[in-house]
Amino acid sequence: MRIYEDLFIVRPDASDEEIDQLIGQLKQLITDAGGTIDKEEKWGKRRLAYRVEKRDDGFYVLLQFSSGPEVVKELERRMRVSDLVLKYLTVRMDLKLQRLAKKKKRREKRAQRKPMAAAAAPQQPAVEQIMAEAAAEEKE
Amino acid sequence: MAETRGGRPVSASQRPTGGDKAVMSQKKQYFRRKKVCRFCVEKVDHIDYKDVRMLSSFTSERGKITPRRLSGVCTPHQKRLAEAIKQARSIALLPFAQEI
Repeated sequence: MRIYEDLFIVRPDASDEEIDQLIGQLKQLITDAGGTIDKEEKWGKRRLAYRVEKRDDGFYVLLQFSSGPEVVKELERRMRVSDLVLKYLTVRMDLKLQRLAKKKKRREKRAQRKPMAAAAAPQQPAVEQIMAEAAAEEKE
Repeated sequence: MAETRGGRPVSASQRPTGGDKAVMSQKKQYFRRKKVCRFCVEKVDHIDYKDVRMLSSFTSERGKITPRRLSGVCTPHQKRLAEAIKQARSIALLPFAQEI
């Protein structure tokens, strides 16, 4: 099982029901293949940095899930075919999270050796926290 | 006079992390502040492609990635930063090129 993160842009003129239906379909696809949905976030309508298919804004949706690699293939195929999805980006997260955990561990080890330095070192926020903050910023 | 020549002019491109010494001469006095990597100071391990505000502070008006000789970001972090900016561009969070 791998952890993936999928950010995709839905057409801005799609209705709420259409968006919910699309997200439901994609989630169904993941769970049917034995994966699990870890997080689902609707960022809402945002301005795009450049025009995509003659549109200036789009509805961003973020899905975090864990599944095998073959699910991603099917998921991306679906999104490519779908008229509703303007753009998508799938990022593999588990390796990054592993690296992060390793670094954190090493830092803690070092802090133990030098307890004085540990008190001065600022706490590293968790990935979830960073993501939550990013989401909060988008809503502003 | 030999000491005054101690501060030899070094082009910025040769020293990517910026000058670390105060370069002093008797005629001209100038001081090049040592640039430090923001991510190392703040102990940021993961540069997230979704953090648009942070990423855009490392791009120029035109949308180009700031070279590390200007921003002072260290090599490992610049690599991850560039990757994050490119990912953000691909999902239309950041522009590839911007008219000004």
